[in-house]
Amino acid sequence: MNVVVCVKQIPDPADPGALDPNTKTLKRDVKLILDESDSYGVEMALQLVDTAGGGEVTLVSMAPNSEVGGLRTALAMGAAKAVLVSDEALAGSDALGTSKVLAKAIERAGEADLIITATESSDGYTGTVPEQIAELMGLPSITFAKSIAVEGGTVKVQRQTEAGYDDVEAPTPAVVSVTAGVVEPRYPSFKGIMAAKSKPVDEVTVADLGIDASQVGWAGAGQEILEIAAAEEREAGTIVEDDGEGFQKIVDYLAELKVI
Amino acid sequence: MRFAPTEEQTEFAAATGALLADTCPPSAVAAAWGGEVGRHTGLGDGDGRIRAAWDALVEMGVNGILVPEQQGGLAMSLDHLVGVLEECGYSALPDPVADSAGVVAHSLGQCSDTAPDVGAVNDTLAAVAAGSTVVSGFGSSPLVASATTADTLLMFTRDPTRVDPDAPADPAADRVVLLDRSEVDLEPVESVDGSRALARVRWDAASGACVAQGSAASALTDEAFLVAALADSALLVGLGRAMIDLTVSYVGERKQFGVPVGSFQAVKHHLADAALAVQFAEPLVRNAAHLMSGGVAVEAPGSIPTDSRSVAVSAAKARSSDAAKKVTETALQCHGAIGYTVEADLHLFMKRAWALARSHGDSAFHLKRVRRQLLAG
Repeated sequence: MNVVVCVKQIPDPADPGALDPNTKTLKRDVKLILDESDSYGVEMALQLVDTAGGGEVTLVSMAPNSEVGGLRTALAMGAAKAVLVSDEALAGSDALGTSKVLAKAIERAGEADLIITATESSDGYTGTVPEQIAELMGLPSITFAKSIAVEGGTVKVQRQTEAGYDDVEAPTPAVVSVTAGVVEPRYPSFKGIMAAKSKPVDEVTVADLGIDASQVGWAGAGQEILEIAAAEEREAGTIVEDDGEGFQKIVDYLAELKVI
Repeated sequence: MRFAPTEEQTEFAAATGALLADTCPPSAVAAAWGGEVGRHTGLGDGDGRIRAAWDALVEMGVNGILVPEQQGGLAMSLDHLVGVLEECGYSALPDPVADSAGVVAHSLGQCSDTAPDVGAVNDTLAAVAAGSTVVSGFGSSPLVASATTADTLLMFTRDPTRVDPDAPADPAADRVVLLDRSEVDLEPVESVDGSRALARVRWDAASGACVAQGSAASALTDEAFLVAALADSALLVGLGRAMIDLTVSYVGERKQFGVPVGSFQAVKHHLADAALAVQFAEPLVRNAAHLMSGGVAVEAPGSIPTDSRSVAVSAAKARSSDAAKKVTETALQCHGAIGYTVEADLHLFMKRAWALARSHGDSAFHLKRVRRQLLAG
């Protein structure tokens, strides 16, 4: 069974960098690492391929400056190869633009029985890319998977809900987004780290994928970032000295809020 | 000469650090404390081991770094191991990675063709890579950390810290053997570091599987002792870094006069001095590992030719022991009274550093060795 995992390489959350006031986006010229939320998808894919007894895991990523730091981590965990889309034309891409690129890159990665993504990235948080990829590729989409099993041509998913989980099935290939914490991502072994250096990373541009550059990046973005500002600091609350009548002040306050 | 770590060595260390951050938090180290000290401090009745961390390290490949490929190892050099050991020190891992993956794997790897009992040597090497715990001891009844949980002990008849350099004993009398834990007599001994699981090992040099004897044993003893001192140095550098990080974090939180105490120059200067001591020790450790891995030394113009490996290791051990001592003093001072309590994590690191600074020769011993070899040259 072949599984494609979409992984994002993000600035290290421990050293998150800053927003660029000109482009109003996150500065991404620092060394990028594998988004932790994607490590669950990689682990899930590796387990599925192990269970199936054959096949391989292929990574798909879009990142500036030919960045492979995060891909190497996932390759060291056991993924077989990667497709990296890196192109200056992609700067400023919104979620839909990203999805168009990833969909094409997934096709380039070869026949896949399953496409796994995280629910959302840890630096962007739009949470819409998995569903957009599925729509663009004409595939079923299942979100918030806490466990995945593939039997025959069917993917069976326990889909996390607020109350518990739903059992959901879809024909393969399908796009499934997994929630964080559902599996324990393995530590890359030293042999894995050494082997990762020689695993193939197919680096492609927007043109290689047959995408019109005007459809992606700033040119194709359907959104515009008007302003960025620091979050307001929380204001200190009111402190009431209780002189024996403190309860009345609470009652008055709640009445003012029309709670009572 | 290049003794900065390669990209691969940096990745090995980073992977080890990430694993230990998850599997070896200070609470796990405290739970590994045992014996009288453990009971007295109320920390626990552990046996000086964190199995989850050890098993994960074995799976990652740490224990086989120096083991030859034929025995299932990675056949790499001490250059690769020191960065990993610094991370073990940084998390205060009590398990004997430095002994099993360092001293034992290196020593046995040296004589995997020549040992009188080649079978036992190669079997033990394979067992080390697969996660067996093998510790080492020098002398007729040495104190050995983690001996009580070891599967096998690699014992050297000669303790290089107890030999008079002006009247060395006959090398022909040296012998190195492998002994099963059931073949030795263990007497638990309290250590300042309650997770050290220290024991006095009484053993019979005529028993066990012979690894080397005579001049070969003498050379192997000297080599193993250098690796042991180097491994301690790497652990001490990691411990020093950890204590500085702990203290910087603490003085950023603790407030006096309405501001964090870390904003006071007196605190900043103390910590800067301590950080400097560790940063000066680390290149010496890397240099010693580079030379011990077969690297070539560059003699500074006009310098005295020496047995550079031996001098480099002694310089590293002296400097890292002194640095660790300096850091413990500073960290304790900057923590204030809380630093004296067993509830604060600092003591886990501090006590390990005290123990390791004296292990395999203290700073004074190694400085004398450096002096003697320079003057002899």
